[in-house]
Formats: sequence, C-alpha cells, structure tokens
Amino acid sequence: MEPAKQNEYSESFKPKKPKPKINPKAPKKHPMGKKLKESLSGYLFMSPTIFTLGIFVVVPILYALFLSFNDVDLLGGIGYEFLGLDNYTRTIDDERAKIALLNTAEYVAIVVPVQTILALLLAAALNSNIKGKNLFRIIFFLPTVTSSAVLTLIFMWMYYPDGLINNFLSFLHLPTYDWLSNPAIALRSIMIMNIWATAPFFMVIYLAAMQDISDTVYEAATIDGANWWQKFIYITVPILKPVTFFVVIMGLIGTFQLFDQSYIFSGGSGGPNSSTLTIVLLIYQYAFQSLDMGYASALAVGLAILIMVVTVIQKVFFGEEKLHD
Amino acid sequence: MRGNKWFAALGISSLLLGSALAGCSNSEESSSQTNSDGKTVVELNGWGSSPEEEELLKETITAFEEEHPNIQIKHEVIADQYMDVIKTRLIGGEAADVFYLDALDAPSLMQQDVLEPLNDYMTEDFDVGDFEDPLVNAFKSGGTHYGFPKDFSTLALFYDKQAFEEAGLEGPPENWEELREYAEKLTVDEDGDGTPERYGLGFAKELARQFYKFQPYGGKLVTEDGKAAFANEKSVEALKPIVDMYKNEKTAGLPSDVGAGFGGDMFGQQKAAMVIEGNWTIPFLENNFPDVDYGTSELPAINGEKATAAFTVAYVMNKNSEVKDAAWEFIEFMTGKEGMEIWTSKGFALPTRKSVADKLGYADDGLRSSFVEGASYAQPWQAGENLPIIMNNFDNQFVSALLGEQTLEEALKKAEDTANNEISSSN
Repeated sequence: MEPAKQNEYSESFKPKKPKPKINPKAPKKHPMGKKLKESLSGYLFMSPTIFTLGIFVVVPILYALFLSFNDVDLLGGIGYEFLGLDNYTRTIDDERAKIALLNTAEYVAIVVPVQTILALLLAAALNSNIKGKNLFRIIFFLPTVTSSAVLTLIFMWMYYPDGLINNFLSFLHLPTYDWLSNPAIALRSIMIMNIWATAPFFMVIYLAAMQDISDTVYEAATIDGANWWQKFIYITVPILKPVTFFVVIMGLIGTFQLFDQSYIFSGGSGGPNSSTLTIVLLIYQYAFQSLDMGYASALAVGLAILIMVVTVIQKVFFGEEKLHD
Repeated sequence: MRGNKWFAALGISSLLLGSALAGCSNSEESSSQTNSDGKTVVELNGWGSSPEEEELLKETITAFEEEHPNIQIKHEVIADQYMDVIKTRLIGGEAADVFYLDALDAPSLMQQDVLEPLNDYMTEDFDVGDFEDPLVNAFKSGGTHYGFPKDFSTLALFYDKQAFEEAGLEGPPENWEELREYAEKLTVDEDGDGTPERYGLGFAKELARQFYKFQPYGGKLVTEDGKAAFANEKSVEALKPIVDMYKNEKTAGLPSDVGAGFGGDMFGQQKAAMVIEGNWTIPFLENNFPDVDYGTSELPAINGEKATAAFTVAYVMNKNSEVKDAAWEFIEFMTGKEGMEIWTSKGFALPTRKSVADKLGYADDGLRSSFVEGASYAQPWQAGENLPIIMNNFDNQFVSALLGEQTLEEALKKAEDTANNEISSSN
C-alpha cells in the first residue's frame, strides 16, 4: 500500500509555491530600527496576554516549585521554613502516595487504550455510509458536552445497589455489583463512566482526520483486493498515527489528572478503602484538608515530571511524525 | 502618522490590560462593616441542614436582631467540605466573623491561633457553669474558652415496634449480646438470596460511630500525644461483634447496602428494624415517615458498661474579625438561655445548658429522654488535633474488614500505622 500513499500525498498536498513577499511599505533605510520597533509593538500588543499568562500560569508554577522545597505554615500567620528535598523524600515512605500512584497507574493503563480504541472504532463506524450517521454523531458526542460533575452524580444514581444498572443486570440474570462501596469495583465504576464520557471527544478528532484521507487510497486498495478490515488496518490506522499520538497523549494527561469524578464519588475521601484515591485527589487532601502546601506542591511537581516522562517515552515510541508531511 | 499608530497600539493594549485587571478588582461590599442603614454587619458561616432547621435558625436570628436593632446578621451556608472552606477562608483573611466549629476540628484550630479567646467577653450573666461540662470543655484549651457549644446530640437505639411485635420481641435489647440475638430474629430474607430485605440492625461504619465502643473494653482511640492507639486486642474485641454481624451473620447492614442516605432513612424505609442514630433522626422520621411506629432507648450496654457518643458544635469567633463586640453579642445570645431555648425548642438538637434542658423538659419526652440520659456518660467525639487524619485512615481500612478482605486485626493495625506515619511526617 505504500506507493499508493505516496501518490495520494503528492496529488492532493502539493507544497505551495513560495509566494513573493509583498511589502509595499518596505522601508529603504534603517532596517534594524524598523525591526526593533516592530517587535516592540508586537510585544506591546501581546502584553495583556503575557501579563495574564504570567500571573495565572508562570508565577503559580514558579511559586509551586518554591513551595515544594518548604514547610509552609498557613493558618495563623504565614511562614516558610526551607526543607531542601525533604518533601520529595517524604513521598517514598508515604503509604497513601503509593496507593494513589498505583490507583492512577491502573486507571491510566486501562482507560487510555480502551478509550483510544473505542474512539477509533466509533469513528470508523460513523465514517462509513450508514443511515442516520449525523444523528449518531450527535448522540455519541452528547456525553462530552455534559459537565463531569453532573455526569458523575447521574452515574452514581445509576450505580446504587438498587439502581438502574443492577436492575438491568439482574433482569439479564447476570451478577450484580456494589458499584459504589466495594473497594474492588469502585475504581472500575469510574473507569467505565470516564471511558463512556471521553471516548466520543477523541472520536470526533479521529473522525475529522479520517475525512481528510482521500478516497483514492481506498479505491486503489479495493482494486488490489483488500477487504474492509485490511483497509482499516493497513491504510486508516497508519495514516492516523500522528492523530493517535495526540489522542494518547491527551488521554494520558487527562487520566493522570483524574480528580473530579473520584472526588464526587468518594465525597473527597478517596474511599472505599482508598480504592478511588488518585494522585490529584491526594494532592487536594494534603493541600486543603491538612493544609500541608509544601508537601502537596512536591507531589504536584512529581506528577508533572511523571506526565512529562511518559509523554517523552510516547514521543520516542511513535516517532516524530506529522500529519501530511 | 507614525506617532498616531503608536498611540493606537498603546491604547488598545492598555484597554485589554484594563479589562484583564477588571476581573481582579475587589468588591468593596464584602469587607464593609456597616450596611447602608448604619447597622453593624456580622457574618455567620455554617453548614446546611434540613429546611425545618433553617427555618428555626432564621427565627432565632430574627429574635436576636429584634433585641439588637443595630446589628444585622449575614448568614451564609457552606454546602460541602465545610472545614476545607473555612480553613481556606481563614488563611485568605476572608473568614466570617462567627462560624460553626465541630468539636472534632476544635483542637487544631484552637492551637493555630485563629480563634478569638472569649474569656474577656464573658459576664456573670452569661453563666458558664450552666453548660454541661464535657461539652463546654471541648472548646476550652488551657483555661481559655474559644467557643460555646450551641447544641449537642448523642446516639441512641431506634427500634421498629411493629417489627419487634412480629418477631415476638418485647422492648429494646439491654446489651450487645441481646442486640445480636434480636438482630437475627428481626432480619428478613424472604427470597433467600443472602441479601436480606430487612436487616436486623442498620449501622454506620465511620469511626465517629464506632469509637465509643473502645472505652468499655479498656481500649482507647488516641494516646496522650494524639496518635492513633486502636491496634490492640481490646479494640478488636470492641468491634468484632459488628463485623461478625455484618460479614458472617448478615444481620446488620449499611445504609449504602440498601440505597439509603443514612441510618434514619434506612430505618424509615423499614429496611432495618433497629438503627443506632442521633436525635436528628426524630424530626426526620416525623417529616418523611410519619407512619413508622418506633421507640428509642439508650444504647445497649457494651461489655457491661453504658456507652454512647456525643457530637457537639460551637459558635466561635474569628480572631481577625473587625466587629468583635457585635460578634460576641451574637454568640452570647445564641448560646445564652434565651437564644438556645428558641434554637433547641423543636428538638433537632439538644440544649447544652442544663437550665434550658430542664425548661424544655426533654428528660421526660418519650422519644428524647434516651438521648438526654446518654449525655451524662457520653464520650465527646474529639481526640486531639490529629483526629481528622486518624478518622480518614480508620474509615478506609474498616470497610475492607467489613467486606472480609482483611481481618479486623490487620485493618486496625494498618489504619493505625498509616495514620501515625502521616502524623509524624506532617509535624
């Protein structure tokens, strides 16, 4: 299939001819001064954004880094005491941090592959010419536009011991579960809910990318005698590789930062039996329940590093490919 | 020409910057001490409760405002994660002048120097001696009063009279052995699938509802220096009956097992024939399940001793309040004889003043007398500043013991170790 792909690309995505630069007011003298002035006015125009970003993004990041090296006293007078790396070494002995990390890792390891594959399959289904596909697109996309807090509350309602899901299961003579309060199940309940809610979002991204794949590739494959599945595996999936990279990375970041669902599920405790305790929930507990900002910041920095490392690994794994290059 | 362009660029940028900054502007209204009528505004923060209780609180506040026409109370309900919000507001200097404080959280706040000491405000008329000692002491540290209890609740046994009749039982159980037998007789599992339609006993698994069992067995919740101390045989013995009833005998159930919100709800829906709950359940049942014919009794004796838990909440003053005198007048009224009488008149919570309790006659009230009786031997739900950490770890581990994922001994050991680890690394 490779040659087909090459042809296809060169046909529809010819590199644009470089246009001659049109600069009617190009000054003849003082080119350096002009450049400086232009960049100055550029920064001037950007200054509101730079200012807002600085205050709400850059400064908090630097401040969190600073906090993570200190023991912070907040109630009854603010005080800092420099601890060096103590906050970081404390994580090693922290039983709850270990549980949170394992829970989060399990959550990421299950949710990311499942939601990616589900998104891909849904997109493939909706990309084919089935009847009423627009209706299905809307229906599938609805969960994504619903607030996660509302979604969680509705799911908790359905998960109750005598709720909708158990009623349905017992109607089919399948075993029922204690979705909310059984430690072995609770995290799975959140996984199911989250996959259901996020897969459609990635489905839309896949769908957009799929509609960019030219029919000629598939036609060529049909002539070569490829069936639907072969076309999917050998054409669609490889062409979508850069999109998959994006979907997996966004999925990883999103799942590593799981907070609101488990917070609402457990009422902020991470229970039952720490089974829904995630790293971000633990950070919340240390920061706002124990008011241990220093340690919470150290955990947050640790999580950021973890996500960065995983992203870099992904990048190596997927290679540095771009869509249509 | 060029100058104009620069002027325009500067203008647009400052416009954008201005609009970005506009969001940061402080609203003056929230920090003002007096309103437009010249009244002093005292802010009050509390958690939400039933509409009936809200109504009663409003009534009490109105009574205060009528007596103090120069003060206006601004009441705000914090719906969720009350202590997180209060602590965050205290740090930000935005906390209310007066707020509720549960005895559980009192030790840490008293130590942090964020509450106003009230000794200098107290007058003879206030009559501190009138309060029940254990309850007022929960908000006292080193001789200094930081708050006064507005009300309290104890735990008692609710039993379904009709279910007792059907099972041929007379009167409530006297001790835990009897309770266990009764629970077995009262459990109904008609379809025989192992999940009863009605449990003999409904209970709450939280430490707040279990800790009072330690003392009769000679165990305790925390050590002198505030560390968890329940990983021992005594505590295992104290908690074993309830774990057995839940796990093996299946005669006790949790509200979540039947999809109920709390024990009172479970009892009202008749999915439990007995529940251990506080007096807040009485008005709840009156309003939602008026047809249930029930009685209350003091908790069955544990290891031959009477034991129950007491929960109390105080009004405390923010140390950074700008209207301290007005705030004190409010606290004085609400925890004084007059205010407390209005507030506790409907029996949602019990008065912490002996004189008010006598006046309202709860000791002779059929349903409430068991709660009043309990006050004399109740153990307040308070144990040093680390209790929130200990509680969190206990609650997490105890569930898995109930489910049989680990033995009770292991669960208590793990809860104690994790809690104490966390305590020592946070200090």
